[in-house]
Amino acid sequence: MQQIRRFTPIQRGFHLILMLTFVIQSATGLARMYVGTGWGKQLTDLFGGYPNTLTIHKWVGLLMLFAFIIHLIYILATINWRGLPGSIYGPDSLIPRLEDIGQSIRHVGWILGLNGPPRFDRWAYWEKFDYWAVFWGICLLGGTGLILYNPVISSRFIPGWALNVLLWIHRIEATLAMAHVFLIHFFIGHLRRENFPMDLVMFEGGIDLEKARHERPDWVERMENEGALQNVLVAKSTLSLRVIYHVFGFAIVIGCLYLLVNAFLNAHRLMG
Amino acid sequence: MKGAMAVIRLAYHWGAFGFLIGAAVFLTIPSVPSWAQEEVTSKIYRYRERVATGYYEGYEVSPRRARAILETPGIRRDRFSIGASAAAVRIRTHLPDSHRGLKFYYRTTCIECHPGQARNLHSMRAGITCRQCHGPEPIAAINHYYSAMNTIRRHAYVCSKCHEGATASFSGFYVHEPPSTALSTRESFPLLFYTSWGMLVLLLGTLAFFVPHSFMVGFRELLDKTKAPESSVGKLANSVSHRIMGGIRKLFEKKKVPENEVDDAA
Ligand code: HEC
Ligand code: HEC
Ligand code: HEC
Repeated sequence: MQQIRRFTPIQRGFHLILMLTFVIQSATGLARMYVGTGWGKQLTDLFGGYPNTLTIHKWVGLLMLFAFIIHLIYILATINWRGLPGSIYGPDSLIPRLEDIGQSIRHVGWILGLNGPPRFDRWAYWEKFDYWAVFWGICLLGGTGLILYNPVISSRFIPGWALNVLLWIHRIEATLAMAHVFLIHFFIGHLRRENFPMDLVMFEGGIDLEKARHERPDWVERMENEGALQNVLVAKSTLSLRVIYHVFGFAIVIGCLYLLVNAFLNAHRLMG
Repeated sequence: MKGAMAVIRLAYHWGAFGFLIGAAVFLTIPSVPSWAQEEVTSKIYRYRERVATGYYEGYEVSPRRARAILETPGIRRDRFSIGASAAAVRIRTHLPDSHRGLKFYYRTTCIECHPGQARNLHSMRAGITCRQCHGPEPIAAINHYYSAMNTIRRHAYVCSKCHEGATASFSGFYVHEPPSTALSTRESFPLLFYTSWGMLVLLLGTLAFFVPHSFMVGFRELLDKTKAPESSVGKLANSVSHRIMGGIRKLFEKKKVPENEVDDAA
């Protein structure tokens, strides 16, 4: 079966790095937050004790920020500067457009059975939200994390009580990020009918032509009209690769759900 | 090769641009005294009128210009608020021994009497004991003039035991921070209160929208008839969807009938 290319290898690489660092940050961060409970102690043991957990959290945080900077450079390098502002406002861009509002309303109508499905182009509105949520989350978590990296140095520039405030921002934003990924992002990537057991698009980079035509008719039609469809057709990845993707993906999901469930079950112990 | 050069040139130009803007902004910032640089330089005169060893002086700083927590030494809002006259007897924060005259003090542990203070990151996470910070008997009250915990010397006598290079600003961190979302914190530490609630609203708002949204999308897609039934699961989904969507459509059609009747009557 033929596929349309949706993500370039570089973009998939970014997702892979984000995925791995996010999981490590979640595990070490939760271990740190829950170290007063039995479960948190177990988690820190996994990383070789509490001080090691702290160190890993800080270093992987730096790695994440580094990858974010590379991502920013990548964005700046891929923007078509001559064609501004139209080039970043097109349907291939992740910048929210006016159409997204209409599509989201129509989508809700479709969910309620009031009208037909909206005709999505390349990115649906919740996918754009997903991207910008991560963008904003990394700015906020990375920013506060960088300040908290060494409180002795940073308190030379800010009053010490600001650390109390920043610590809470860091904690709540991290909780939001984890809840969003473990509940919503995983649901979309694994449990929707079309994606059921697992959506491989972020790993193999392509989406089945028929599936794309059904889900995102405007995107496929646009490429057909431009005569560009032939250029983006790719072959499906080999079976062995797909097996690896599935095993890897499910390992991550199971690990994250383990964190989610235990964080939830132990939440009341944080208070006492 | 050409593409790589273009990227490098672009990154270089943006870097230079950012550097210039940053430099311009930096130069316009007035030279504020840094939070850390408030060491008192005098060797003698501060203690001239008091009986003092002068031992502390080299480490002291002038009291913080801005403390985040509203401190009202006279009246404390715990379970029972204390009036001004009772405060003179019961508020112990200026005593050299904060537990002077307390009954059963030596038979009780710190956390039995101060359960709220036991919930701090240092004790809970790093397993640091109360005495590692508050010192041996007698435990001086926080605001006693010669207490090691007094903000004018806390950084040197308490925090820097473990945090090398701790400054006065650093010691402004609230070890026993008030519960960030409690209503009482709105008065004592408003910034903490409002930021935590702001973030919590963001958290709850995002989840309140996107959790139902995803589940409803998922449910609706399960009932999508236009998708070709590729497997037995798909076939089952299609037949179920036929029933349910038919039901929903009927629901809306029924509603429309009375409306038309009203229109006709009018
Ligand atoms: C018998 C109960 C009791 C025990 C045990 C106890 N405290 Fe206290 N402590 C008090 C009371 C009562 C006060 C005065 C409370 C006030 O001022 O609101 C006080 C005051 C203090 C203060 C001064 C508070 C201020 O506002 O300056 C500190 C510091 C303190 N305790 C630390 C400790 C530490 C550390 C321990 C364990 C070694 C301990 N306490 C054990 C009852 C106790
Ligand atoms: C990391 C050092 C540190 C540790 C450990 C610590 N304290 Fe404190 N304590 C402080 C500081 C600093 C203050 C001044 C107010 C503040 O920062 O919250 C304080 C204030 C207090 C007060 C005055 C009331 C208040 O909340 O301001 C009491 C009572 C107290 N501590 C009891 C305890 C008890 C009991 C423990 C052990 C469970 C303990 N402290 C552990 C540093 C510490
Ligand atoms: C007995 C040693 C000790 C003393 C005394 C001590 N600390 Fe700490 N402090 C620690 C340790 C260990 C950690 C790391 C725990 C963590 O980050 O979870 C820490 C972490 C911190 C952090 C970073 C918190 C975070 O989670 O990022 C701050 C801020 C801090 N201490 C402030 C203070 C202040 C202010 C004082 C003086 C009132 C003080 N400490 C006194 C041992 C100490």
